[in-house]
Amino acid sequence: MSPRVAYVHLPRFPVQRRVLEEPALAGQPLALVHEAKGALRVSFASGTAQREGIRAGMTLTAARALLPALRDGLHDASAEAGALSSLAEGFLRLSPAFMLSAPDGLWLDASAASLFGGEVGLLEKVDAQARAAGYRARVALASELFTARALARFGAAPRSCVGPGDSGSALAALPLQALEDAPGVVASLRALGLSTLGELAALAPTQVISRLGAQGLRAQRLVRGQDEARLLPAVLPEVVEEVRTLEAPAESLEPLLFVLKSSLDRLSARLRGRQRAAVRLTLTLVLEPAGPVSIPLALARPTTEPKLLLDLVRHRLEPVRLDAPVATVVLTVDESSEDRGQQGVLGDAPAGDAALETVLARLATALGPAALGSPVLADDHRPEAAHAPGPFRPPRREPGMFAEARRASPTPPPVPDWQLERPVRLLPGEGEPLEVELDALGALRSARVHGRRRMVLAVAGPERLGGHWWSESPFQRDYYRVHFEGLGPAWVYRRAGGGGFYLHGLFD
Amino acid sequence: METARTDPAVLERLRERIRTLQAAPRALLSVLRTGLPPVDGLLPGGGFPLGQVVELWGEPASGRARLAFRAIAEAHRALRLAAWVDGPGTLYPPALPPLGIRLEQLLVVRPPEPRQLAWSALQLLRSGAFAAVGLDLSRTGVRLSPPESRRLVEAATRSGGLLFLLTPTEAPADGTLRLRLLATGPRGMRLEVVRSRQGGTSRAVEVPWQMLTPGGPSDVGAGPRGLDAPPLPVDPALPFRRARACTVRDGPIGIQGQRPGRDLPLPSFAQALGVAP
Repeated sequence: MSPRVAYVHLPRFPVQRRVLEEPALAGQPLALVHEAKGALRVSFASGTAQREGIRAGMTLTAARALLPALRDGLHDASAEAGALSSLAEGFLRLSPAFMLSAPDGLWLDASAASLFGGEVGLLEKVDAQARAAGYRARVALASELFTARALARFGAAPRSCVGPGDSGSALAALPLQALEDAPGVVASLRALGLSTLGELAALAPTQVISRLGAQGLRAQRLVRGQDEARLLPAVLPEVVEEVRTLEAPAESLEPLLFVLKSSLDRLSARLRGRQRAAVRLTLTLVLEPAGPVSIPLALARPTTEPKLLLDLVRHRLEPVRLDAPVATVVLTVDESSEDRGQQGVLGDAPAGDAALETVLARLATALGPAALGSPVLADDHRPEAAHAPGPFRPPRREPGMFAEARRASPTPPPVPDWQLERPVRLLPGEGEPLEVELDALGALRSARVHGRRRMVLAVAGPERLGGHWWSESPFQRDYYRVHFEGLGPAWVYRRAGGGGFYLHGLFD
Repeated sequence: METARTDPAVLERLRERIRTLQAAPRALLSVLRTGLPPVDGLLPGGGFPLGQVVELWGEPASGRARLAFRAIAEAHRALRLAAWVDGPGTLYPPALPPLGIRLEQLLVVRPPEPRQLAWSALQLLRSGAFAAVGLDLSRTGVRLSPPESRRLVEAATRSGGLLFLLTPTEAPADGTLRLRLLATGPRGMRLEVVRSRQGGTSRAVEVPWQMLTPGGPSDVGAGPRGLDAPPLPVDPALPFRRARACTVRDGPIGIQGQRPGRDLPLPSFAQALGVAP
């Protein structure tokens, strides 16, 4: 059985993208132009402009003569291809591979359709995802690349699904224009009075080859559903990056955030398509003329939520003072991790998780990632080394309406005896040297603690801790719980061999 | 009813009954109980009320942190998260599991600048993702300004989270409920309600130290492990002498079960081997 493919046609993709980035252009006559032979020529025209007679290939001067209110912009083919590729990466959630058909379409491998409610379900999801990204799309699914593309571009229905072996009949009503790759053949067929693909398919192959040659025969095989071309999966770029050059340099935060929002939407869609989540990003603002300014963005927990990322960026940018207007915005994912995702169930309240993510990201950005975490106990004899900072990864909330009822509070592991006698506060390093006073019998009478001489009310201990005798820095300490007047119990140790006293902790 | 008004014993029984009911576990958290009967009985709602700023005011070893963590442990049992803004940077995590704290549900924040302490607590509270947040201002030199205090109170009220504010004696803040903690000696500490919207001001209780850490050491009346232990034989060559000491605790009950001999000098084998010392 031949592999199934879906084609996503994004009519006038560069125009759609421009309108998406500048919503003020919606409904306006717009033409994207390129320079050819010293003249600016129209590459793409919006629907409004087309209705006024603007066509691709027309010079901008001629177009303006037809429509003085025409808005125009430069068409950058490589940037459009990059944007199309970014959009296609987002579809990797629904398809294992894609192949670009620049400038306004792409094929998707539809072999995983059974996971999305069958082929019709897959088409609906592809359509919905394109809409979510802000694009209007037409989709078709067939066994051949040509059939899928021709139906998506020239078919009557916005979504069509052709079964194996039905391609010939499905293509019959389409105009000859669908043979886009063979303009010579189309011209010849028109000269012969043919107008649809069905008429070409009905001709005898010997007649076709005698009049139109090998190209004609190939075209006939395509329209009969005998396309043998296969989908060649596109190779994904290693670095996930979104570059956006602003039409007019941004001088304030609001327009910059607007640009960043669409960039982050695309970045998130790409990461989700790759089943990755961002851990560290870099926002580079290219100032005009000062040059690039890089702003690192560290996330406490991996995420693909564009809203969270935008909130983080806003928070990070608010205190930043820029010396010059921003001309280009570059978002780069420096580090990502596997995104296992979380399936939502009716009754879930993901707002709590989002709030947690937001505050963690905000704190990590403002204070630095090392400033927050969850402590982890370490296996070390030295009290000051018996713990280490670890990442804060609280247990995930179990989804579902009755999660509260289902989840039981797990019994914590038993606590070893030594932990029962540890102070809640431990002073940094080996503690503070204590200036102590002994009585005539050698007992502790008082000590200077926190700048005040305090009487010793009671002493309990010692607990002897020693270790690292195998290393170059062995230690041996006798720990006492010393009750100081007006302070409370403190953890004081004395070095072995008659060393000094140190205040190491407080039982606060 | 008339009898109840006049009979103090009946009133006391009713009060006791109300306290018992308030101390019973509930499905939804409205207060965080410490699990210490004298403390929970002292607090107006039978525990620390959520949505408020509770100020624990006292010396750095007066039991403030343990009291706060005892309450946070209840939030952890209900699988809620808690955060601790560690101003002085002295929080010692190995001491927390005995208090009922689950370290994986505790976020510890250590802002590099003292001015970021209140801001961090405010962000944590506003997020609503944490049932309780601790802000430790001990030995930081930070004194909350009135607008900062107001913002913290507003954030706690709106998010329904509980903020524990640990303030030193010299710099009290503006907590909705302020408790004064005072170490009264080796037996325990005194807890007094200094300010409360729900009443109960000036009420005070004595809390024994050993009650704060369940299963922890008792320095008074604990036999061979406490202050009542017989004194150790002392070496007159050493200037320091423990006047009231327990038996030396080493290897088997030392940190992480290390073996004796590594931490103490090995006994002399001279006699066993028949060698003259």
